Amino acid sequence: MEIFVLLKPVPEGESRLRVSADGRRLDLDGVKFVLAGYDESAVEQALLLKESAPGSTVRAVSFGPARCEEILRAAIALGCDAATWVEGPSEAAEDPMVVARALATAIAPGGASLILAGKQAGDDEEGLVPAAVAERLGVPSFGHVLDLRAGPDGASLRFARATEAGTERWECPLPCVIGLQQAWNDPRTAKLPNILKSRKAAIAKVAWTETAAALGAESRPTNRPEAFALPPPRAGAKMIEFKTPDDAAEQLVRALREEAKVFP
Amino acid sequence: MLDFSLTPEQESLQDLARKFARTEMAPRAAACDKEGRFPEEIYRKAWELGLMNLNVPSEYGGSGLSVLDQCLIVEELAYACGGMTTSIIANCLALEPILLGATPEQKRRWLAPFCAEYHLASFCLTEPGGGSDAAGLQTRATRDGDDYVLRGEKCFITNGPHASLFTVFATTDPSLRAKGIVAFVVPGDAPGIVRGKDEDKMGHRASSTGTIRFEDVRVPAAQRLGGEGEGFSIAMRTLDQTRTPIGALATGIAQAALDHAARYSLERKSFGKPISEHQAIQIKLANMAQMVSAARLLTWKAAWTIDRGERGTLDSSIAKCVASDSALRVADDAIQIFGGYGYMKEYPVEKLLRDAKLTQIYEGANEIQRIVTARELLRRYA
Repeated sequence: MEIFVLLKPVPEGESRLRVSADGRRLDLDGVKFVLAGYDESAVEQALLLKESAPGSTVRAVSFGPARCEEILRAAIALGCDAATWVEGPSEAAEDPMVVARALATAIAPGGASLILAGKQAGDDEEGLVPAAVAERLGVPSFGHVLDLRAGPDGASLRFARATEAGTERWECPLPCVIGLQQAWNDPRTAKLPNILKSRKAAIAKVAWTETAAALGAESRPTNRPEAFALPPPRAGAKMIEFKTPDDAAEQLVRALREEAKVFP
Repeated sequence: MLDFSLTPEQESLQDLARKFARTEMAPRAAACDKEGRFPEEIYRKAWELGLMNLNVPSEYGGSGLSVLDQCLIVEELAYACGGMTTSIIANCLALEPILLGATPEQKRRWLAPFCAEYHLASFCLTEPGGGSDAAGLQTRATRDGDDYVLRGEKCFITNGPHASLFTVFATTDPSLRAKGIVAFVVPGDAPGIVRGKDEDKMGHRASSTGTIRFEDVRVPAAQRLGGEGEGFSIAMRTLDQTRTPIGALATGIAQAALDHAARYSLERKSFGKPISEHQAIQIKLANMAQMVSAARLLTWKAAWTIDRGERGTLDSSIAKCVASDSALRVADDAIQIFGGYGYMKEYPVEKLLRDAKLTQIYEGANEIQRIVTARELLRRYA
């Protein structure tokens, strides 16, 4: 199996986020980008499939500015065989359709038998790119997938989808695009020697000029963010003073009902 | 040009250590401290991730990290638990004499197994009769044909109760002092090795420390590191390499104490406002931050010196000494900021003080570091 994993660099969870000077977006200057959340599950799944089907290869692919490099190296340190940086300006990375078109263009000649991604990005959680890549490549796409295994014939996949109503089980022919649920598998941690090796690994690069020429007018973002507001700072906690546990519970219920209006 | 920025590679090593420290070590630190439990499952995981044997070169299966890279990792680990960190890095100390004194054949034989499988090794220098006076050690190595026979006792041996290999320093003739000392590699299952009880310590309680008695332990001469009389130099050069990471370990403890204290000062109110708004607390926090910064920078400077190929005795002695003294004072200040709560074992800071204390004592007591510092210093004026 030729497995491709689509990865997005997202700000580290502990980052202090600011709004950019133009008020339209987050100021990502100086922010540390990491491989996180659903994407970690996607890498883990790709590696598990590779381990179960000897001879398979896993290639990590990421679209965007230079910050992609760090997460591609992180993916190599985890065990991916190769990585491709599909270069693109920040503005293009803001439009999921441009991202999907650029990724599909870069992937198409690679003969992917399976394309894995997180079901949505760890930062904006839009979840549009995997399906749009599938559409572009003309292959089936599923989101919210867990418990993924290669089919017995090697030409299909079996997996489950968690829905509100219950669990669906599917079999799907390859190639296809799968968006994975977070943390149903336990993503591994890269080992120190592999981290060192990943620093020296070659990362293939698809230049933006090349992608833009292939996509023509489709390389231009059609959407532009209007404004970005950080959530208002949280009000301070209210401490309840009490004499007995019963008293505390009574006051807490009253506060939840009458002040916070959590329930009627 | 002087540059304090870390490379992306160093940042990723730091990230790995931080993640391991916070997800594996920190959640178990308090319980292991309380019970005096040696969490071997954590040490196994550290080994699996490549966080042990940091100094072993890649040709023997290790990572061969620079001392600075080792320090970055050690500080992160120690932030979560000083005791666990001591046990994790004890292999670096125990294997360093092999790196420094062994033939290529001996290195292949003794180092490779540590990178292929999880094993612990212990450095056996200190004796009940003396630690700082290493040249006066009494464990005897008596030549007998192609073998040596070791007889004597080593104490305060980190990981001693669990080690499968010992690097042992003994003397062919105590009257020769330093010139009589020989270094050996001794497998843990050699007949005549008697392991004493696990010591009940003030701090570093997740680490294991014990006495190792050598009762006529027969060691082939092929397991001698270097020549007779070279043992003392091997021991001292080993400590020159490993002293600096102890500075990093102390810095990690100090940083943890500062972080706990600063956060607490923003939450805790007295006289109607957070105590962080009282200048008495601000001044304490500022002093703590100064000490943490100084500890880290001196540690990095010493590591940088050694990584340039210099022996770095002066820089590493200064770094180890300042960092460990700082760790004790910063932990002490943190307890003071926590007030009565800081004295309670339910809160994390009293453990930091207990753990910090050892960093002033082991791998060369700070009094010895000051003697070394003065000697190196005065040499420049003589």
